[in-house]
Amino acid sequence: MSNENGEKDVLEATDSLQILNVEDCGRSEVDKKNKPKVDILLKPTGNAPIMKKKKWTVDSDKPIGWIIEFIKKYLKIESKEKLFVYVNQTFAPAPDQLVKNLYDCYSTEGKLVLHYCKTQAWG
Amino acid sequence: MANDREVLREVWEGKLPICFKLDNDEVVDIQQPDPFYLMVPRLSYFPLVTDKVKKHFSKYVSKELQDQEMWMEFNGQPLKWQYPIGVLSDLLRGPEDHLPWSITVHFDKFPELVIYKFSNKETIEAYFMSCLKEADVLKHRGLIASGMQKKDHNQLWLGLQNDKFDQFWAVNRKLMEITADQESFKYIPFRCYTDDGYRQKLIKPLGEDGRKKTLEDLLNEMFPGRSSINVKIHGMNPPLETPLQWMSEHLSYPDNFLHFVVQLES
Repeated sequence: MSNENGEKDVLEATDSLQILNVEDCGRSEVDKKNKPKVDILLKPTGNAPIMKKKKWTVDSDKPIGWIIEFIKKYLKIESKEKLFVYVNQTFAPAPDQLVKNLYDCYSTEGKLVLHYCKTQAWG
Repeated sequence: MANDREVLREVWEGKLPICFKLDNDEVVDIQQPDPFYLMVPRLSYFPLVTDKVKKHFSKYVSKELQDQEMWMEFNGQPLKWQYPIGVLSDLLRGPEDHLPWSITVHFDKFPELVIYKFSNKETIEAYFMSCLKEADVLKHRGLIASGMQKKDHNQLWLGLQNDKFDQFWAVNRKLMEITADQESFKYIPFRCYTDDGYRQKLIKPLGEDGRKKTLEDLLNEMFPGRSSINVKIHGMNPPLETPLQWMSEHLSYPDNFLHFVVQLES
């Protein structure tokens, strides 16, 4: 990958971080109130690289596919490469499953824990 | 309980007649292809039953499209391959849409923003198994599915794929059992579909007082304050007083979820 491309990826990733991480970016108060958010915790498993920041606050109506793309951008993994996300270290939710459904069913202590890896971890 | 086992078979044998037509704009042959009629199990998934449909139509589209992923649409809405066929029918077909269900087939312009691509049957198998495991997390803390062997998982999948009731239920009954330390499932695996996707929550089959909770209780918990709700599963409107535990054991789809299509009437 050339430097130029590398920089572009970083910028894109930063963009999505700002969309994702409302704690750190200056969104209006109205926006914050209108959109329900939930806390998620992203943990690597297998050979996946760790994320420096693990805890994120996301719009609860985002689909899991969006979270997967976000993790790929953050870790600079090519979007063609596979990334699997698991709940309860048991099952991989469909890309169109909404964060709020998973949060309502599987969060513990106010956080939804998602494990990610680059190969299928739990059959 | 002999009668109740009949319910499982009735649900399993539910079928839908479908008339597939190729989108006119994609036909390059001088001759228009005949529509393709198929009787499909409600409990199955489109990619498991449409190989013949693809074969039939692919010779009428241009060469470069023949190897493209086929997709289907009804009334302008692309069909999600990961929903069971019966769920799509309950969700998309209105009372005026008579059978056979008329579906348009496409090879061009795959709507990647609306539906996901699946490259092979393994993708659907993985998705199906994942749903099953999720359902078991809700029912038995995941202990039964994780205690199964790979061959049991294969048997469930092959039973569904080959439409073999006995093969499927020989394994699935273990997933539908109430274990010795339980009075009921821990939670009921279900999804409520509305126009914009589905919702799911933790709902127990028993109330605090040990009372059996019903479909009505579930709807009240999901949609508080809404009195006029139309709910459909397997093409029928189940009585609202049906106990949830019984529904979960008898009316779940093969992925072990109850898939309710819900219309909130104003």
